[in-house]
Amino acid sequence: MPDESLLAETGAMTSFAGRFFREGFRPRYEVAELLHQCYVVGYQSLPMVGITGFIMGMVLTLQSRPTMAQFGAESWIPVMVGLTIIREMGPIITALIFAGKIGSSIGAELGSMRVTEQIDAMEVSGTNPFKYLVVTRVLATTLMLPVLTVLADAIGLYASYLGLNMRGTTTLALFANNVLSGLSFGDVLPAFIKTYFFGFAIGVIGCYKGYFSDKGTEGVGQAANSAVVVASLVIFLLDLLAVQITGLMGLN
Amino acid sequence: MQPDSIIQEMPRVAAPPGASETVLVVDHVSKSFGENHVLRDFSLALHRGENVVVLGKSGSGKSVLIKCIIGLLAPNAGQITVLGQDVATLDHGAMDRLRAKVGFLFQSNALYDSMTVRDNLLFPLRRHWLDHGPAEEDALVRQALADVGLEHTADMMPAELSGGMRKRIALARTLILRPDIILYDEPTTGLDPVTAREIDHLIREVQQKYRTSALIISHDMSCVRLVADRVVLLVDGRCYAKGTYEELANKLDPKVREFFA
Amino acid sequence: MPERPTGNYVKLGLFVVVGLVCLLGTLYLLGRQQNLFSRSLVVQADFRNVSGLLTGNNVRLGGITVGTVRQIKLLNDSTVRVFINLNRDAQPFVRQNAVAAIGTDGLVGNTIINLAARPGPAPPVQPGDQLRTRRPVGIDDLLGTFDKSNKNLVGITQDLRQITGKLNGSNALWELLDDRALADNLRRSLRNAATASARLSAASQDVAGLTGGVRRGRGPLGYLLTDTAFAGQLGHVSRRLAGSSDTLNALVSGLKTQLNIGAGPLHTILTDTAASRQLRQTMQHVEQGTAGFSRSMDALQHTFLLRGYLRRQQKKQAREKAATAPVARRNAD
Repeated sequence: MPDESLLAETGAMTSFAGRFFREGFRPRYEVAELLHQCYVVGYQSLPMVGITGFIMGMVLTLQSRPTMAQFGAESWIPVMVGLTIIREMGPIITALIFAGKIGSSIGAELGSMRVTEQIDAMEVSGTNPFKYLVVTRVLATTLMLPVLTVLADAIGLYASYLGLNMRGTTTLALFANNVLSGLSFGDVLPAFIKTYFFGFAIGVIGCYKGYFSDKGTEGVGQAANSAVVVASLVIFLLDLLAVQITGLMGLN
Repeated sequence: MQPDSIIQEMPRVAAPPGASETVLVVDHVSKSFGENHVLRDFSLALHRGENVVVLGKSGSGKSVLIKCIIGLLAPNAGQITVLGQDVATLDHGAMDRLRAKVGFLFQSNALYDSMTVRDNLLFPLRRHWLDHGPAEEDALVRQALADVGLEHTADMMPAELSGGMRKRIALARTLILRPDIILYDEPTTGLDPVTAREIDHLIREVQQKYRTSALIISHDMSCVRLVADRVVLLVDGRCYAKGTYEELANKLDPKVREFFA
Repeated sequence: MPERPTGNYVKLGLFVVVGLVCLLGTLYLLGRQQNLFSRSLVVQADFRNVSGLLTGNNVRLGGITVGTVRQIKLLNDSTVRVFINLNRDAQPFVRQNAVAAIGTDGLVGNTIINLAARPGPAPPVQPGDQLRTRRPVGIDDLLGTFDKSNKNLVGITQDLRQITGKLNGSNALWELLDDRALADNLRRSLRNAATASARLSAASQDVAGLTGGVRRGRGPLGYLLTDTAFAGQLGHVSRRLAGSSDTLNALVSGLKTQLNIGAGPLHTILTDTAASRQLRQTMQHVEQGTAGFSRSMDALQHTFLLRGYLRRQQKKQAREKAATAPVARRNAD
């Protein structure tokens, strides 16, 4: 919808999200499709997210070591890296990778289904395509991104442990103790909860862009592309919002 | 039996109104998108066992008509009655039950890319809560594929099939529900003439075999000639002329001549 | 609806379970760290000032976390009541006479409550007990002290600055330090002292020879023994000589120690410039004195009393020379 303003787009997306809540929690429930989408969206993203998390943890450790060593604060590296990964880097990097992989694939898939009338065909086949396609995907992204983020955090921290052991020796127990000593619930829970919103945003935006794509195959590409762009932007906005809210709640 | 011989044997059963049960009534329907008036006060009746072709240029609102009939679009005015039920008043469940009796063959086939042919055929069957045992499902799939002459394709993906085969599979997917009415949205568009004739014969064959009524949207005159019991000419969203193929072919009206020349 | 392989569900299940285990494990460990799950009892303590203590801060006994702050409540304008969640495990070790104090975890760390045991027996705390408190060495007080010492330090450095400024500005000191002539003078006077003492030693050898001759009772002995006046004079001279040589000795040794202690002319000068001047004068006097003595000895040689003795001495010397000369010649050959 190139002619419509940003506001109209935002409004349409919001009403799309509202429709998700109106229709998503009424029968019939597409459980089998939901599980399949969880598998596709969650399990199959794990290798990508895992590699990213591993590199993130390793690089953070190796990069911060020289600076920390200047202050003689090498023993603070686990705390610093742990806080960085769990509070910010894990959620945001995972969400961005996820948006790139899943947001685009949802946008392209639903876009091509729209263009080839598969969505209409579902509707005449006694299936609510919104529930069957949109609700399952949005739920899958919302539920799977937090799991992926936790796993990426764990992998990243393990990579950080390996990175520390590349120069010098640290036991896993000491590393874990160091990381935990720097953490509180105020670090873990907001970071975990915000990933639900990231996942929801990625799912809703990908589905919206695909569900309402038009102009044939060109529209499908546009849907996939703009799904990623908008989702990435919204992730950062949500992150900013999350920082403000957790700050207001006194959890920072 | 060769398709050609079927057609030649087949009598033109131009069932007179009232003589047979009416399965579909489109009553003074108007539909517009903003300033674009696609349908204006359009009326149509379809009787059991009858093939009606709605003939019109591209963009004359033909597809909008059948999407209104199946409930994918809501008309701005007028009433559509399918199998005795007013489409506008139906809730979700009733609409789904009605849709189980109305097949829809999409212009682009709308086969689900991610599923095998077999899963494509079973999708509407399962989604309409029509629970069958695995053996029965198997028999239905085989029967539907046999009806369109593609028994061997059950485990293939849609992407592996040619355009004509995909059209047949799409038809098989509508047939598996044993519908009372089949709506064809430009069934021969995008196919080569030979394949298009095969599809035309298939439409006839299906009508003969299952006594279905069919509303066919087309601008392909060979198709119209072969499958139509009655023809409705749609011009600028209005019913411009109606009658059998021969009646219209003999008219001298210039707008009718545009099609039948 | 397509058939999905059940293996996918297994993988999905594994994926979700591992993720949840990671999350719950972290939360459990954090909770255990903050003693959320261990059974605890609540005790309380009243403080005048809790220095920013927060709910959830640690409570430590002997540096080990034994509980957390559960609730902080203002009782009145000068009393803050703090409720402490104390682990059951730590209950036997926290006595009722324990004293609670607000502290910090390191210089910049969190505020904590330190429990300190008191000597003397007391039963373990019971739920609801009130612990005694001690006014903490707050960081404010600490900073107050810092402030005072800081001011002192400022005064000190200011004084130091003035001193160095004056030192820098003082020409006299630098001239003194730079003066090469002074060092030369000193060196010269020392050389003088050395020659003087050498002469003195020669003179005393002569005296020794003389007295040796006198003891052997040769030559002028008779005269000397008969002439009591002369003997008295001689005695007087030698007494004076002995005295002056003692003084000289003391002076030289003093000089030596002074030179040993101070490593260079600078020190000597710094200790006392007047002394050095006096020293120089003394040396001149000594020189004059020894010159005078030498002259008087020459005069003595020419007196008839000692002539015979001296002549014998000369002969002896000549003989020795004659004896050593052939040896030297042989050696040369």
